[in-house]
Amino acid sequence: MQIFLPIADVPVDLFVLLVLGAAVGFLSGVFGIGGGFLMTPLLILLGIPAAVAVATEANQIAASSFSGVLAHLKRRAVDFKMGNILVVGGLLGSAVGVEVFRIIKSYGQIELFVSLCYILFLGSIGTLMFLESLSTIQKSRKSENTFKQKKKHNWIHGLPFKTKFKSSNLYISAIPPVIIGFIIGILASIMGVGGGFILIPAMIYILGMPTKVVIGTSLYQIMFITAFTTFMHATQNKTVDLLLALILIVGGVLGAQLGARVTVKLKAEEIRILLAIIVLLVCLKLALDLMITPNDLFSITYGSGS
Amino acid sequence: MRALIFAIIFIFSTAPFSLSSVISDIDKSNIELSTRFDGTSILVFGALSPENDSTSLLIEIIGPSTSVNIRKKVQIWGIWVNKKIARFKDIPSFYQISISNPEHPVLIEIENQKLKSLFYDFLEANSTPEDVNGVEQYYLELTRLKKKLGKLSVFEEQVNIIDKKLFSHKVNLPKKIHPGIYKIKMTLIDQQGIELSKSEQSVKVSKVGVQEFLSHNSKNNPVFYGLFSVIIALFLGFSAAQLFRWLYR
Repeated sequence: MQIFLPIADVPVDLFVLLVLGAAVGFLSGVFGIGGGFLMTPLLILLGIPAAVAVATEANQIAASSFSGVLAHLKRRAVDFKMGNILVVGGLLGSAVGVEVFRIIKSYGQIELFVSLCYILFLGSIGTLMFLESLSTIQKSRKSENTFKQKKKHNWIHGLPFKTKFKSSNLYISAIPPVIIGFIIGILASIMGVGGGFILIPAMIYILGMPTKVVIGTSLYQIMFITAFTTFMHATQNKTVDLLLALILIVGGVLGAQLGARVTVKLKAEEIRILLAIIVLLVCLKLALDLMITPNDLFSITYGSGS
Repeated sequence: MRALIFAIIFIFSTAPFSLSSVISDIDKSNIELSTRFDGTSILVFGALSPENDSTSLLIEIIGPSTSVNIRKKVQIWGIWVNKKIARFKDIPSFYQISISNPEHPVLIEIENQKLKSLFYDFLEANSTPEDVNGVEQYYLELTRLKKKLGKLSVFEEQVNIIDKKLFSHKVNLPKKIHPGIYKIKMTLIDQQGIELSKSEQSVKVSKVGVQEFLSHNSKNNPVFYGLFSVIIALFLGFSAAQLFRWLYR
């Protein structure tokens, strides 16, 4: 069934969008990832303008992360103080990111910019994930376990503005969380991702937070940042397509529930290799689209912009 | 509509006109762009007088004006980048012209004159010519791309004339059209292309329902629209959490 998206200004097949939302939701249920970094490029490949894909995806993540944060609140797995400091950095990052986005959009190069960000991002994440899973598989074959949690006492502890985080049982400076939050805000606003795949490792390895509060706290920050990013994109760039967001939310919720309940008969490393391959394929497609000589060198756009 | 056609036939068969004239009507005066809009067509019909072999009927459909940028992809460091090269200010977003007599002696002149006054003349002065063909090239690309998108059609379809006095013409509109007033102009011309009589109709194309609500508020009330989007998303997230908690209790 064809529907016409009011802000994206393109006709799309409703069924295709629902399936896409469900498929990415399913993957995020299985892999425990947000899915924004897959959904945004897939929307672009479907023909939705990059600016709309990014802003709308932020709106979808606001919904899914809120849903997730509620589950973690029940388990008291959210460090609010840490979350709030991350949010402060994130709001700043998001405001800066949306402004950068607006400027690049006014030059008519937002499609290129978003594509390049994704190629860089998916390329490096996919490669890292692929190599890491491969080496883990090889190590597990030799049946030696080299995973050791080092008690860290790194440069973080030398910074000023130290404060106590009760839920995380930490006494560290507020500067690193603000900076990490800021980076996540930038990523959310220019790429339409939640940023969990950066935030979670940063919380564990840089801040040294205990794993039990990491996911809840990251969802807490992501919810605020994507909600704010949605609002900023709506007011600065007018690129949030609520109809598209609604379809993706519905598809995504169903898919994620299925994904979380399906028993996957694969090892964790094998699942990760599979995800790495999907990520690299999307990256390759985006790169090829930029490099292959287009069929038609000329195109037209409407309105007063470029 | 049938009654109207009979009325037209009746009037024309009983009262012969001394001057050449054309009267017309259309099958709809409003087109609603809903989320389900999938293209549509407009039927234009009417009558001509007097019966004359030497006159031809031109039908033009002119959509609301928009500005159009022409972009060209150029290769920089191995990747293809869009570069804006020219801009046409306030040209019709849709234009179709058809004639009843495709062998009309001055067809080419009519085509050139119409396209020049509607498109060519609106190329902005600061569009810098890039190669020898310069301005001409931009104009050719504009018309080529518009034809490809189904938004420009020049003498591709013929106006049907029935019995030398009645005419009908179906105009197909693509899925993606700009809202606004679409003017339909019927012009009766002689062999030299001189205008003898004309008639004009208009169709209002507007967004409706969800389409209208979202695009209107996104443009005009961005603060409300932004808050609304966030609230809807959070509400759906909350509902999903509650729903699945209940389902898997």
